[in-house]
Amino acid sequence: MRLLVTLFLCLFSTICLAQQNCTIKFHHLFKDKILKLEEEYILQNMDTISIHTLKYYISIIQFLKNKEVVWKEVNSYHLVDEENIKTKEINLNKIPQNIEFDAIQFNLGIDSTTNYSGVRGGDLDPTRGMYWTWQNGYINFKLEGKCSVCNTRNKVFQFHIGGYENGFSTIQNIIIISSNNKVLEINVDIEKLLSIINLSSQNEIMQPSKEAVEIANKLPILFRIK
Amino acid sequence: MKKIIYLILITFSGIVSFKTVEPLFVIPKGWQKPTYNFTENILTKEKINIGRSLFYDNILSKDNSISCSSCHLSYTAFAHTDHDLSHGIYNRIGSRNAPALFNLAWSKKLMWDGAVNHLDAQALAPIHNKDEMDETIAHVVEKLNESILYKKLFLKAYKDSIITGEKTLKCIAQFLITIQSFNSKYDSVMIHQSSFTNQEANGYQLFQKNCSSCHKEPLFTTFDFETNGLKVDETLNDIGRMKITHDIKDSLKFKIPSLRNIEFSSPYMHDGRFKKLMDVLNHYTSSIQQYNNLPESLKKKITLTSNQKVDMIAFLLTLSDKHFLFNSTYQFPKKILLNPSKDK
Repeated sequence: MRLLVTLFLCLFSTICLAQQNCTIKFHHLFKDKILKLEEEYILQNMDTISIHTLKYYISIIQFLKNKEVVWKEVNSYHLVDEENIKTKEINLNKIPQNIEFDAIQFNLGIDSTTNYSGVRGGDLDPTRGMYWTWQNGYINFKLEGKCSVCNTRNKVFQFHIGGYENGFSTIQNIIIISSNNKVLEINVDIEKLLSIINLSSQNEIMQPSKEAVEIANKLPILFRIK
Repeated sequence: MKKIIYLILITFSGIVSFKTVEPLFVIPKGWQKPTYNFTENILTKEKINIGRSLFYDNILSKDNSISCSSCHLSYTAFAHTDHDLSHGIYNRIGSRNAPALFNLAWSKKLMWDGAVNHLDAQALAPIHNKDEMDETIAHVVEKLNESILYKKLFLKAYKDSIITGEKTLKCIAQFLITIQSFNSKYDSVMIHQSSFTNQEANGYQLFQKNCSSCHKEPLFTTFDFETNGLKVDETLNDIGRMKITHDIKDSLKFKIPSLRNIEFSSPYMHDGRFKKLMDVLNHYTSSIQQYNNLPESLKKKITLTSNQKVDMIAFLLTLSDKHFLFNSTYQFPKKILLNPSKDK
């Protein structure tokens, strides 16, 4: 019996050794400073701005080698929420030890197949506040706050970026060049988005639309390796 | 070899006798395959029961005052008799007519404008709509997790008492799927167990000639979206499917409703503007607006004499399904919701 247990332990440890883990960390920034919710920042044009919510989906994480997929995470759907520190670190487990890669690829948002397959659990559960209800579909990227130039109630701006059909697809594919197999640190600088939007004229997107697609197309530039 | 054949026969007869238990869902003979993906939400009696309780429970609305059944009544094919537009909490009025509910496993997109692409996600729309339940799914799930009754029911159904949005919505979908209508007089005529009267038979012919391209048998809908030439109600200015696709070609298109149980699902059309079937027929013969995107079948004038209209209505009444309308398994689950041990 003891022999069996030892054998089992040996086998188990070899399997464990043959695998590696990798962590992706997202650092939310405003310009070069760490973003703090509700704190006031100054935009380039001297407008005052503060952020109330920053949430987005990272999905289908894959490792690439010479542009070929060498590993992909199973059931890969992660909701990153500035308010919840745990969500800003994605731990990738069970990566085979011998995998070599030179880039990591993921989607910002949820693919159309998932959007067509009803409701899902975990980070995709509609209770997470990232699902439209009057018209079904995931919100891929949510940014809310206040800006002095918004002539809305309480000077609020709300960008709920989503859409997956009727020519309003907003999902973005992002590739980060890195072969670091332990920690991948990604800066997400929202100032890069806010400085190119005219918040006085564009401050509310709450449905799939041409405007949502335009904003979505600008999102990949926010994601840069640290 | 013989032994093997016997064995197979015994096993087979075992399966057959096992199957005589009332099935949870039926594909009527000759009907196409349902569109619903059952493998992602496997039907069980326990989950259907939860869905049925939720359907009749006011817990889904913000002030716990209304349930799905407030606008979808089982005795009227789950439509809302006498109400042109749906009613919500605090006497708020919605912008569209609450449709009849049945045979939803065959549906493609839901809502009058196809805003929802999957039955599992459908309940989110009325729950969140300000003019309907004005609630959030997150808060509903919170309320359910505080309910001893629902904790028990979910534990039994999922072997886990933690209630999530996914489970809640999938249970509601399970109940909706089991609401089936396929036992009307029309159905029994189709399987030669009954026959139409002369008037009904004449009405059926007229129906096939004038209506069946959109209201296709046996479901009496294609589940597609079409404009039916209704004048725009300027108090609503509802553009229909175009609201979702932003495509001018979809302007004023609404989902083609099934005609089954139409005797009970008045008032008719997406905004409930017609109270009587005769009003509907009169619209199709005399007041079609010539929109560019009318379907071919409505571009040419439909002519029906008043006798023919009466015959057509006689046929439409053969689509009433008493087995469906008075099916006690679709009704308020007294045993669960009126149980004295129920504690919220």
